[in-house]
Amino acid sequence: MLGIRDAEHEESSPGASTLFISRLTCSLVGKTQQIKVAPDSVAYRAYGNQEVMEQFFCNYGLNPLFRDKVNKGKLNITGRDPEGEVRIVELSDHPFYVATLFLPQVASRPESPHPLIVAYLKGARAFQSGRGD
Amino acid sequence: MDRSIKVGIIGDYNPELSYHKATNEALEHAAKALSVTVDFQWLPTQSLENPSELKNLERFHALWCSPGSPYKSMDGALLGVRFAREAGRPFIGT
Repeated sequence: MLGIRDAEHEESSPGASTLFISRLTCSLVGKTQQIKVAPDSVAYRAYGNQEVMEQFFCNYGLNPLFRDKVNKGKLNITGRDPEGEVRIVELSDHPFYVATLFLPQVASRPESPHPLIVAYLKGARAFQSGRGD
Repeated sequence: MDRSIKVGIIGDYNPELSYHKATNEALEHAAKALSVTVDFQWLPTQSLENPSELKNLERFHALWCSPGSPYKSMDGALLGVRFAREAGRPFIGT
């Protein structure tokens, strides 16, 4: 999609030459982090807030070497941690295409469903009615 | 007619992983908030290497790429993610 043909993940292909996804310098497993959400993004419309706290369970993330390449394409960085590390990306030419390094689902509760997942399901409902299902 | 919203979850479900269970529960919570019913199905990554299974993703209204790497098939997972992008399905990868 970004013209990176041999993009690889360090966990499954540790010896690959183009590690698009690489091991984080500091593991995020079990951590809660503040994220700054870009205004005018799908994530912002879901949260209604430019600063959110989210829980992480991962050891890998976007290789910082590719950060500029990502942000110049159709994939936009719309969430960053206080140090500027990428935490949310969205595809601009798609109705709802959001990827997060954190796990919104673990914070969901019956009485307080996660706003991003509610927004996602609203998108699914719109697709369903658009197709006439 | 079945009015439930069909969500395909790309990933190798493991009931021992709390965040896999949390994915199912979070969908139920959101569905309740919207007063809709959600019908979700986990899609083993190896199955998505099969072209007919991949084509079958048409039945879903949205796709979710589950956490839990390494996937049994990274190729299968990426094919599913690409389907969501190209077929305009609402997509979340967590």
